[in-house]
Amino acid sequence: MILQPEDFWSFYEWLMRPESFLESAFLQGIVLFVLAIVIGLMVGYIISANRYGPGEGFYAVARAVRDLIRFDLPGTSAHRVFALAKLAFKEAIRRRVLFVVGLFVALLLLAGWYLNPESSDPARLYISFVLTATNYLILALALFISAFSLPNDIKSRTIYTIVTKPVRATEIVLGRMFGFMAVGTVMLVPMGLASYLFVSRGLSHQHLEVVDVVEEANGTLVGETDFVQDHKHSFTLYSDIDGEGNPLGTYSGLTDVVRGHRHIVKRDANGNFEILSPEPLRARIPSYGEIQFYDRGGNNKDAGVDIGAERLDAGGYGSAGISRVIGLSRGSRKVQHGYVEGGTLGKAEFTFQNVTPERYPDGLQLDLSLRAYRSYKGDIESGIRGSVTMKHPTKDIESNPKTFVINEYEVDELNLETDVQGTDNNKTRDLNVFEDLVDENGQLTIIIKCLDRSQYLGVTQSGVYLRAGDNPFWWNLTKAYLSIWLQMAMVVAFGVMFSTFLSGPVAMVATFACVLLGFSAEQVYDTRHFIDSPIERGGGPIESMVRLLRQDAMTTQLDVDTTAAKVIKTTDAGIVYSLDAIATALPNLPKMVGTAEYAASGFDIFGALVLRHAAATLGYCLLAFIISYFFLKSREIAA
Amino acid sequence: MNRTKSLWRKLTYLAILLAMLIPLFLLGQPSGGKGDPGGQLSVMRHEYNIAESDLGEISPASETMKLASLGMRGVAATLLWNKAHTYKVMHEWDRLKATLNNIALLQPHFDKVWEHQAHNLAYNVSTEFDDYRQRYEMVREGTEFLTRGVRQNTNAPRLVWYTGWFYGQKLGMSDEKVQFRRLFSDDEMLHDALLAEDIAVDSQEARGPLGKPDNWLVGRLWLNHGYEIVDSGVKIRRQTPLNFYETGPKWRIKHAESIESEGILDERAQNAWQMADDDWLAFGTRSIPTTSPFTIKLNQLEDLEAQRDEKIEEFRKLNEEAFAAARQARIDTLPAVIREYWQKPDSELTPEQRQLMPSIIKGLVPDLTTLAKTSDEAVRLESVNIAGQVRDLNERIQKTIGYRTQINYPYWKTLVQAEQEERTVTARRLIYEAEQANKNAELDKAIELYEQAFVVWAEIFDDYPLLTIDDTAEDLFSSVRRYMVAIDSQEIPEDFPLATFVNMMGEFGQVDARMYETVRQESKIAAEQRRIELEEEEKKRQAEAEEGDAAAGVPTPEKSEPEKSEPEKEKQPSTPGDDATEGSGQTEPDSKAGNNEVSGEGNAAAVNDAAKPAETKPQK
Repeated sequence: MILQPEDFWSFYEWLMRPESFLESAFLQGIVLFVLAIVIGLMVGYIISANRYGPGEGFYAVARAVRDLIRFDLPGTSAHRVFALAKLAFKEAIRRRVLFVVGLFVALLLLAGWYLNPESSDPARLYISFVLTATNYLILALALFISAFSLPNDIKSRTIYTIVTKPVRATEIVLGRMFGFMAVGTVMLVPMGLASYLFVSRGLSHQHLEVVDVVEEANGTLVGETDFVQDHKHSFTLYSDIDGEGNPLGTYSGLTDVVRGHRHIVKRDANGNFEILSPEPLRARIPSYGEIQFYDRGGNNKDAGVDIGAERLDAGGYGSAGISRVIGLSRGSRKVQHGYVEGGTLGKAEFTFQNVTPERYPDGLQLDLSLRAYRSYKGDIESGIRGSVTMKHPTKDIESNPKTFVINEYEVDELNLETDVQGTDNNKTRDLNVFEDLVDENGQLTIIIKCLDRSQYLGVTQSGVYLRAGDNPFWWNLTKAYLSIWLQMAMVVAFGVMFSTFLSGPVAMVATFACVLLGFSAEQVYDTRHFIDSPIERGGGPIESMVRLLRQDAMTTQLDVDTTAAKVIKTTDAGIVYSLDAIATALPNLPKMVGTAEYAASGFDIFGALVLRHAAATLGYCLLAFIISYFFLKSREIAA
Repeated sequence: MNRTKSLWRKLTYLAILLAMLIPLFLLGQPSGGKGDPGGQLSVMRHEYNIAESDLGEISPASETMKLASLGMRGVAATLLWNKAHTYKVMHEWDRLKATLNNIALLQPHFDKVWEHQAHNLAYNVSTEFDDYRQRYEMVREGTEFLTRGVRQNTNAPRLVWYTGWFYGQKLGMSDEKVQFRRLFSDDEMLHDALLAEDIAVDSQEARGPLGKPDNWLVGRLWLNHGYEIVDSGVKIRRQTPLNFYETGPKWRIKHAESIESEGILDERAQNAWQMADDDWLAFGTRSIPTTSPFTIKLNQLEDLEAQRDEKIEEFRKLNEEAFAAARQARIDTLPAVIREYWQKPDSELTPEQRQLMPSIIKGLVPDLTTLAKTSDEAVRLESVNIAGQVRDLNERIQKTIGYRTQINYPYWKTLVQAEQEERTVTARRLIYEAEQANKNAELDKAIELYEQAFVVWAEIFDDYPLLTIDDTAEDLFSSVRRYMVAIDSQEIPEDFPLATFVNMMGEFGQVDARMYETVRQESKIAAEQRRIELEEEEKKRQAEAEEGDAAAGVPTPEKSEPEKSEPEKEKQPSTPGDDATEGSGQTEPDSKAGNNEVSGEGNAAAVNDAAKPAETKPQK
C-alpha cells in the first residue's frame, strides 16, 4: 500500500490547506453550500412563480426561508424526531432488511470458494474481503430503505397520519435520516462481529510438531514446523538464561514470517517442543517522516530516480479540490517509488518528528517497505543491500550505518538500538540516540542508502516509518467499520433527499447515480485531464463510442472528418465538464472505502482520516437535510 | 361477456406458453442416461465432447460464479482482466493472484486464459522480485496455475505441452537457472503435488544424476503426458504437430546439456546423451501430421529417397529408350561448367563440386509424367502409375526435408550422436577442469588441460562439423581466448589444433559448418601433399647424408629432430589425431588408442558419412 501525500494531512491541513487555500476542503464545502443556496433559491422561485405568479412567488420563497429559520429549526423537538426515527426504524425492520445480514453470513460461508487459500498474505485478503463485502452490502441497503420509504408513505397516504399531527418538516426529514441510520447501525454491528470472527477464525491454526531440529555449533536449535494450512515455518531457538547468564535448559524463539504471521516456539527442559498460536493480528501505528531525495552527486532532488516501471498515472486528482475544477492545477498527483542509486552519494533522507524516549521506550523500531531494481544481473544469490544511518538533523553526528538486505513486498522490521557506535565530527564515539542524535525539537534524521553499485533501491514516503507501537486489530476493524457507517449515513441522507421530490424508484436511481459518480470521480477527472491536455486517450463518451464501433485504438487520432470531430469533441467536452462539476460536488467515496486498505495492510487507521471523513459526512448530511426540508415544504402534503 | 373474454385471453396466453415450452423441452432436455440421449443440446454436447464432465474436473465454484454473473460473464471477465492488469502495475501480487483465480473461475475452458496468465505470473511477475527464491515461488505459482488449467481441460493437449514447456524452459533456461534447478529439485511440496497429478517425479525417468527430480525430465514427463492425450485421439489445437512433438525429446537433450554445464562430466552425462539419442530417434520415427494430407517421419528421408530411386529405375527399365533420350536432352542443356563437373571422375572433384553433384544428378531425371503419357501403349498404364508414385514420393521427400529444416533435425541428430561419445564427454570435462584451474589461477595446469581439450575438440569437429555452429562452440571459442590470455599470446600457436575453427570464428564471428568441413578437407589434402613432399625431401636428405657420411658416425634421429621442428610444426595441423596421442597420451592411454583410431578414420574417409560415428561407438 503506497500512501499518497494527501493521506498524511492532519485534519487542519485538510480543512484549510494553509499553503494553498484553493485546494482546501473548507472552501469546497463553502462553495457547495453557496451554490446550493443560490440554485435552491432560483429553482424555488421559478416553481413558486409558476404556481403563484411572479410577485407572490417571491413572497412564497421568502416565507419558506423565514419559516425554516424562525419556526422550524428552533421548534424542532428531539422528542418528536426520536419518535419519527423509531417509526422509520420499525418500518424498515418490518420490510425484512435484516435479511441482508443473512446474505452477508451466506457470503462469508461461501467465501472459501473465491478466496485463494494459497495466498501469501491471507490476513490481507480476508480483511479486505469482509470489509468490501460489508461496504457494498450496506450501501445497497441504505439506498433501498432510504429511497423508497417516503414515496411509499405518500403513495399509500400513510404520510397523512403523520403530517396531520403537529410535526415539522425538519422533524420528518431528520426522523427518517436518523431512523435509517439506526437500521444501518443495527446491521453493521453483527456484520462487524461476524467479520471479526471470520478473519480471526480463518487465520487461526496450530502447528503441532517440529521436524528436523538440529543443534548448531553456537548452541541454538534450528528446525521447521509441520505443514499446516499450506505452509510451514523455520525457526531458531536460543537457550534461555537466568539473571547471571547461566543456561536454564529451556529454549525459546520465533519462527520466520510466512503468509504474514509467525509463532513463538518453546522447548522445555524435557525436550518437548511447544508451538504457540500465531501472533495476533495488529495495527501498526506508524510515525511518518518528511522525505528528501539526493541524486548521485549528492544534490537535493524532489523525486528519486525513475526506473521506468509501468505506472498508473490516473489518481490523486481529487486532492486538488476547487483549484482543479477551475483549471488552476492540473494533472495527477500520484506518487510512485523513487529510486536511490547504489554506491554513490545518492540517498533518501527521512526526518521524523517527536522522537522521544517516552514514545519509543524499547528503542526505535524502523519498518521498511522497499523495492529493489537491478540495472545488471549481478550476484543472483545475494539480494541488493542497503544501509540505515541515524543522523542529527543539523549537526555532524551520525551513527554507523546498519546494513540490511532488501526484503521486497514485506514489511521488514529493523530494530535500531538506543546506544550505538557512531561518529561525532569525524571522531568515533559511543552515541545515545535520544541524547546525541535527536535535536531539541525531537527530530531525528534517518538516511537510507543502497550499497551495491549501479543497483537501485526504491522508497516512498510511506515505505519507511518509525513504529510507535501497535493497536489491537479489533480497534482498527472498528475504525474501518466507522468509515463504512459514515458512508452509509451519507447515502441515507442522499436517499431521503431525493425521495422528498422523486418517486421511489427514481429516487433510488438518482442516489445510485450519485454513489456511482462518487466512485468513478477519479476516472471523470482523468478524462477531463486528457481532454484539457490534450492527450489522445479515447476522449469522452461519444468519442469512445465512435472508437468502439470503428474498432480504433484509443491512442490514435480520431479518424472522422473535421466537422464531425469538432462536433464530437465539443459535445464530449460539455458532457465531461458537467460530469466533472457534479462529481466534484459529490462525496469522495473511494477515499472512504480506502480505509479498508489500512486495516487490511495492518496499519492503524489515522484518527485524522476518520475525522476528515466524519466532517465531510456531517457537511453532506446537513446539505441534504436543508434541501430535503425545502422540497418537502414545497409539496402540498406538508403545507 | 367481459369476464369470459378475459378468461379466454388468459387461456390463450397459457396455450402459447405451453407451446413455447415444447421446443424448449426438445432442445434443452438433459440426458436421462441408459440410452436416453436427451434434447438436441444434450446430443450436441455429447457429440462434440463439450459437456462439463467431458472437458475436465467439474468445479462447483466456477458454475456458481458463472450463474451469479447473470449472463454478464463477458463483462465481468473484462472488468476482472482490467483489474488484474491494474494490480500487476501496482505490484499487488496477492490481489493479482486472487483476481486471476476469479477470471479462471469465470472462463475455465478458455485455455488461452490459463496460458496467458500463467505466463504472466511465471515470466513477467516473477522478474519483478529481487530475491531469486521469490522469483522461483512466482514461477511455481504460474506453473501451478497452468496445472489447474490442465485439470479443468483434459482435452487441451496444448495446455499440457505448455506446462511441460514451463518446467523445462522457464526453470532451465532463465538467468537464474542454476538456482531454479536447485530449488526445484529440493521442492518436495511441489513433487508431492506433481505426484498427485500423475507425473511420476519419483521414477527413474524424472530423476537427474544426483537422484533428485530434474526440471527438464519432469517437463518431459508432462510433454509425454500430452503426447498420450493426442495419441488417444484428441486433436492438437493452436500448435503445429511438429513443434508439439519436438519438445519432449528436446528436453532430454537440454537435460544432458544442463548437467554437463553443472560439472557432471562422466558416464552419467554419456548416459543422459544416450537416452537423448533414443528419444530423438523415436521422435524421428513418429508419424507427424503435416499441412499436406499425409503424415511424415523425419528419419525416413533416406528410405524415401531410396524408394524414389528404385521407382525411377523401374520406370527407366520400362521406357529405356525414351528415358535415355530425355536424359540426354537434359544433359545437353546443362551449362558448360556444370557439365564439366559432371563428366569428371569423382576422385578429381573438389569437395565443393562434390557437394553439387547430387543436385546435378537429380536435375538429369526427366519429367516422368510426360514420358509416361507418350510411352508405349503396352507399358503406358504401368508407367503412368509409377510416375504418379514418384511424384507422390517427391512430395513426401520435399515435405520431410522442409520439416527437418524447420527444427534443424539433422543438427540435433548429429549432436546427440557426438555427445554420447566418451571422447566428447572427455573433451568437455577437460575444458571444464581447465576453466576451474584457470579460475583458481593454476595457469600451468589450465594450459595443459586446455591443450589436451583442444586436440580432442579438433577431432570432434572434424567428425561432426555441424557442432562448430552451436553455443558450445562459442563457449569453446571463449575458452580459446582465455587460453591465449593464459599463454600470454596475441595469436594462436601455429600448430594449434583448432586453428581453422578459431580463424573462422575470428573472421566471421561464427562458423559455417559446411565451409568448415570444406576448409578442413582442403587443408588436409594440402597437408597430405606437404607431408609427401617433406617425406621425399627427408629421403633425399637421408640419401645424401648416407652418401656423404658413409665413414662418419650415425646421425641420430633425436639430434636431427630439433632442427626439424619448423617443418614439423607446419605438418601438425594436418594430423591433429597424432598430436592428440602425443598430448593426452600420458594421462589416458585407453582413450588415446580410441582417439587415434577414430581420427585415423576421419582422415582417411569423407567425414560427412553420418553412419560412421555410430560405427565407432562400440569400440569405446
